[in-house]
Amino acid sequence: MIVLLFFLIATNGKATNIVWHKSSVGKVHRQEVLQQKGCVIWITGLSGSGKSTLACALCQALYSRGKLAYILDGDNVRHGLNRDLSFKAEDRAENIRRIGEVAKLFADAGIICIASVLSPYRKDRYACRSLLPEGDFIEVFMNVPLQICEVRDPKGLYKLARAGKINGFTGIDDPYEPPLNCELELPQKGNNCASPCEMAEIVISYLEEKGYLQA
Amino acid sequence: MSTMGNSTNIFWQESPVGKLERRKLLNQKGCVVWITGLSGSGKSTLACSLSWELHTRGKLSYILDGDNVRHGLNKDLGFKAEDRTENIRRVGEVAKLFADAGLICIASLISPYGKDRDACRAMLPDAFIEVFMNMPLALCEERDPKGLYKLARAGKIKGFTGIDDPYEPPLNCEIELNQKDGVCPTPSAMAGEVITYLEDKGYLQD
Repeated sequence: MIVLLFFLIATNGKATNIVWHKSSVGKVHRQEVLQQKGCVIWITGLSGSGKSTLACALCQALYSRGKLAYILDGDNVRHGLNRDLSFKAEDRAENIRRIGEVAKLFADAGIICIASVLSPYRKDRYACRSLLPEGDFIEVFMNVPLQICEVRDPKGLYKLARAGKINGFTGIDDPYEPPLNCELELPQKGNNCASPCEMAEIVISYLEEKGYLQA
Repeated sequence: MSTMGNSTNIFWQESPVGKLERRKLLNQKGCVVWITGLSGSGKSTLACSLSWELHTRGKLSYILDGDNVRHGLNKDLGFKAEDRTENIRRVGEVAKLFADAGLICIASLISPYGKDRDACRAMLPDAFIEVFMNMPLALCEERDPKGLYKLARAGKIKGFTGIDDPYEPPLNCEIELNQKDGVCPTPSAMAGEVITYLEDKGYLQD
């Protein structure tokens, strides 16, 4: 009789106190499907230091190993999510904050999220690090001297900055604060001629060692 | 000059690993399933059920729940009209990134204004699947899973959707979920309807 009553309540659509519980898909389930652990590889450095180039090489190297990665490039994100932001200090901070929050979501989804962002201020990068569980934020510092970046000048921005046509350009009239304790610094000491592929392999080795390339 | 307005000296960076490569890797096509409806209409419940059903089929999805995103990315936003618009815009942009990454991104938000949902649709041509949880206000209020209708009726929350802020139902959504003869379908059944749609449209293969 009680069982019948329960069934009637459950089927008349007016059941308010019956809560449907269902298994939900969590991080561990996604790790199993992808055979990897999500994390954030945060590539920081001056304009022209090779961040985007490394990000692409790394993405390619991961794909060739059957791993899912996604690049959040500072420039690209500024065309979409962050198109309302400028380069004033407070907007740079908000730019980094939002990218950090999105990278966190990607890592939770099981993706190896490669954030390639100038991110000049230590405080802002540290705030992103704090969003993620210990170990899941892997800071990669592209430590290339300003002179080399300026010679490369891949987007012609140093030239514009030197001519006074851009103000507050990092490295020229806005500071870059290098990391004090990053996980990886590239190029490695004594190997200044490392190619993007070689540098990508260094990052891959780190990920392998720390167990991110398996469930 | 570049510090005055918005970003002008920014360039689009191309990556050799693109959408097609990710489709092959995941054996699915990225898209956004946008679940809209009143508070208590069952959006989060459907999102979980859908995510689970996709998982059992070996498909990768991720839920962007309005409540959760408001704790992180959108923690600086309130519930004024312009903040609701910005909330939806940002979720739309993030969902777009997830879809580009190859995932089936399930966005579960009240998203009460048609204009804002349409703006997200415009960001994602051919990859935006709007699911309207068309449950009567009376049912949602009876459920009141978070006690918010009670607070709204007592005047303790202002501008609460359905009570003193409008919900604009979709005019042309891909999927509408209703009660059938006054009975609410189970979350599994509703998830099944969405899965069938995704299968028919080819999202569950590369």
